Amino acid sequence: MSDVSLRGVRKSYGSLEVVHGVDLDIKSGEFVVFVGPSGCGKSTLLRMIAGLEPITGGDISIGGKVVNDVPSPQRGIAMVFQSYALYPHMSVYENMAFGLKLAKTPKAELDQRVREAARILQIEDYLERMPKALSGGQRQRVAIGRAIVRNPKVFLFDEPLSNLDASLRAQTRIEIAKLHDTLDATMIYVTHDQVEAMTLADRIVVLNAGIIEQVGSPLELYRNPVNTFVAGFIASQRMNFVSVTPTGDGLSLPGNRLLALSHPQREKARTLGVRPEHLELASPEAAHFSGTLSVIEQFGEYALAYIELPSGDLVTIKLDGAPDLQLHQTIHIGLPAEGVHLFDEAGRALR
Amino acid sequence: MESTGPSRTTAIALAFMAVIWISPFSWLFLNAFNPLSTGQLEIPRAVGLDNFALAVSGNAGRQFINSMLIAAGTATLSVIVGISAAYPLSRLRIPGRNAFLWTLVLLRMLPSAGVLVPLYFAAQRSGLLNQLGVIIALTVLNLPFTLLLLKNFFDTVPIELEEAAYVEGASLLQIITKIVLPMSRAGIAVVWFYSFTGAWNEFLLPLIFARVQDAFPMSVGLYAAFGQQGAINYGFLTAFSIIYAAPAVGVYFLLRRNMNTGFAGVGVKG
Repeated sequence: MSDVSLRGVRKSYGSLEVVHGVDLDIKSGEFVVFVGPSGCGKSTLLRMIAGLEPITGGDISIGGKVVNDVPSPQRGIAMVFQSYALYPHMSVYENMAFGLKLAKTPKAELDQRVREAARILQIEDYLERMPKALSGGQRQRVAIGRAIVRNPKVFLFDEPLSNLDASLRAQTRIEIAKLHDTLDATMIYVTHDQVEAMTLADRIVVLNAGIIEQVGSPLELYRNPVNTFVAGFIASQRMNFVSVTPTGDGLSLPGNRLLALSHPQREKARTLGVRPEHLELASPEAAHFSGTLSVIEQFGEYALAYIELPSGDLVTIKLDGAPDLQLHQTIHIGLPAEGVHLFDEAGRALR
Repeated sequence: MESTGPSRTTAIALAFMAVIWISPFSWLFLNAFNPLSTGQLEIPRAVGLDNFALAVSGNAGRQFINSMLIAAGTATLSVIVGISAAYPLSRLRIPGRNAFLWTLVLLRMLPSAGVLVPLYFAAQRSGLLNQLGVIIALTVLNLPFTLLLLKNFFDTVPIELEEAAYVEGASLLQIITKIVLPMSRAGIAVVWFYSFTGAWNEFLLPLIFARVQDAFPMSVGLYAAFGQQGAINYGFLTAFSIIYAAPAVGVYFLLRRNMNTGFAGVGVKG
């Protein structure tokens, strides 16, 4: 168990800089998730911590020691790869024992550590099987087991669930959360899936185009996103954005309706964001938006209705239960003041 | 059951074709197992292995060993040199590496007779005109294909496996011997057997390179055996031919087994 800190970490391929100076402190025992769209540099950052990519600039330290020039095996990390990277010509047992064998661990200790990891992950019955005889979920466990036996200071996960199907992904997500609780280890986890980020992380690091947009607990990011990127990225249903213009004592919404709002920085507001779950149906007189229902997705316990406003904007509203709405009917939506996020011209949140 | 059987004419035509196809082989086998063979296609009056005994003793035995030496030596050397060159070609971003590989293959497309003369003088100057010389010359000629095949096999070993091994503390040598080579077993087997048969079948090069009878492989021996004792000994020649052909058949079955088992288990998806 160790803390990890990044100081001005940069990465360039030739003249192309892909990570532009990242500063981050990860506390010992913390579960940190790097999340962002593809190509944002999150995997590169993880690989630099792992020692698989050289660092162009800055410092990475693990356990208080700068490891820029320390080769990967001596950094005290273990990595779980997206493709699991199991050695196909070795049995599960041999896969898990590989690193310990290289380190010339005494046989008895090796056997004890492999069996202990297998017990934690409930793969004791598969130890003699070859990886090809395992399902995706079982392979995933072996890959994690291979990391556990090495007893690392820091676990690194590179999109470990993206090859699993949806139900297995949800199940394995819970198991990783339990594992973090059991092992009490520092874990850094990369994903492009914001659901994994929200559910697993102690802290989420939102990356975009090689820079950190925001660092915070899942709920902080959900409640107080610092800009439109984070606001749009975090949470399962994307936040609605509409352009607004400040007027007298409120904001003018598309369709020239007025939202009365007292906000200290109201004058700078250019974009209004509101999450689908915070919108509600309203009477025609009290509505802030009115438009026609263009698509409705019924999920049983809730429904997502996509409303097209006369201005052309598409607004999503999340409705509880299974509402009985007809396509193309007019929908009136109310905007509760507490659900409103305001952003300035550059997309920065106004607090 | 369908009632429309093949017509009589078709049957006769097919039987005729079959006889034409089979007759050289039956001639070969009937003569080889006939100690009193005359070179005619006939049912042997006696059956025995005398011809085979003759074909593995004395000069002929020596030639069998030479052929084995040359074929196995060429195959092994090709694989070792091939692996050492193909792995870096597969993993390092060397500018123009594909152009380089295909240029080598183009060079290999030249008939080997075309490069025989310079090759011969190079070997003569370095005193490598014996079996070792043949092995080295054949390896040189083999390398372009060996390289290309092995590089393609190494390309199929996911880089993540090597990274995983590296993170776990494996050195480059350990990564190659414990991960890359076991996973490329099928490819290495293909290259080994391919080089083995190529070298086993080679005639022109050993004919020019082998200056003494003791260095003759079977291909050259077979050529030399024609009319050696005035009359042609058909029994000896046919037995010799069968022994000469046998390794190719053996290699075929070994290769099939390896091709079937080699590729499994590389997949990663769940």
